[in-house]
Amino acid sequence: MKLVKQTQRGFQYELNGEDVESLRFLVKQFPITAFAPARVSKTDAGSKAVEREKLINESLQAHREELKRKARGLVLRERFKTSEGKQFYRISWRARETMLQILNDIRVESWRILGEPEDPEAVVFRVPGEKFKYYHFMRLAGYFEYHFLNLEEERR
Amino acid sequence: MPSLTEPSVIPRRTVKSDTRSKDQFAPTYYVVCWNDPVNFMVYVTHVFMKIFGWQRQKAEKHMMEVHEKGKSVLVREGAEKAEFYVQQLQGYKLQATMEPAE
Repeated sequence: MKLVKQTQRGFQYELNGEDVESLRFLVKQFPITAFAPARVSKTDAGSKAVEREKLINESLQAHREELKRKARGLVLRERFKTSEGKQFYRISWRARETMLQILNDIRVESWRILGEPEDPEAVVFRVPGEKFKYYHFMRLAGYFEYHFLNLEEERR
Repeated sequence: MPSLTEPSVIPRRTVKSDTRSKDQFAPTYYVVCWNDPVNFMVYVTHVFMKIFGWQRQKAEKHMMEVHEKGKSVLVREGAEKAEFYVQQLQGYKLQATMEPAE
């Protein structure tokens, strides 16, 4: 996967066939877990903080629903164009942010399912068989995340 | 019929001893980002730039602080804005909280 064009409207990436199928498969898995409320403060436990936590979590849940609604649209087959034997994927700046949030949600939730290992990449030999797909999801999401971001950096 | 003579006691002008606006008394919060081993450094930098509109250098400084010290205080804000930032950061799956500022 490599960035071939960056304009004011967005990005164009060149992917091989394996990248295309992996990205489509992975994004369709979102979300891999049910929504879990997050802690919003480590020190504030007052009634206002409890109410605040509730409101923020409602907002986060709605945001995740929105990401879910958009996920499949990001990897529709027609978004991948073939030209001279190469496959290209176009994505706007805004849609790339959505894509990054979806990929990172998959990565972080997979990591949680794996027991939040201190060295996420090194757990491969300790992952029980039934959870191995999450190790794969975590790495794959990281691969795409890194390339969606890092190739942009290289161009600067 | 009441007389219209001037009152014998002239009301004193009240002078506010503190002229700061109400907002300045409202509690403020530190928005804190905590380290975790799963988010990429380049991703964290990107999120800081996106949410706070920071230049890369400032975003990288805070990212490195998270990485090396376990946390970074990103901003100090009133409750509403701090809530907004925490929600945005958590939307990107970063571990962010808001802690009362002293």
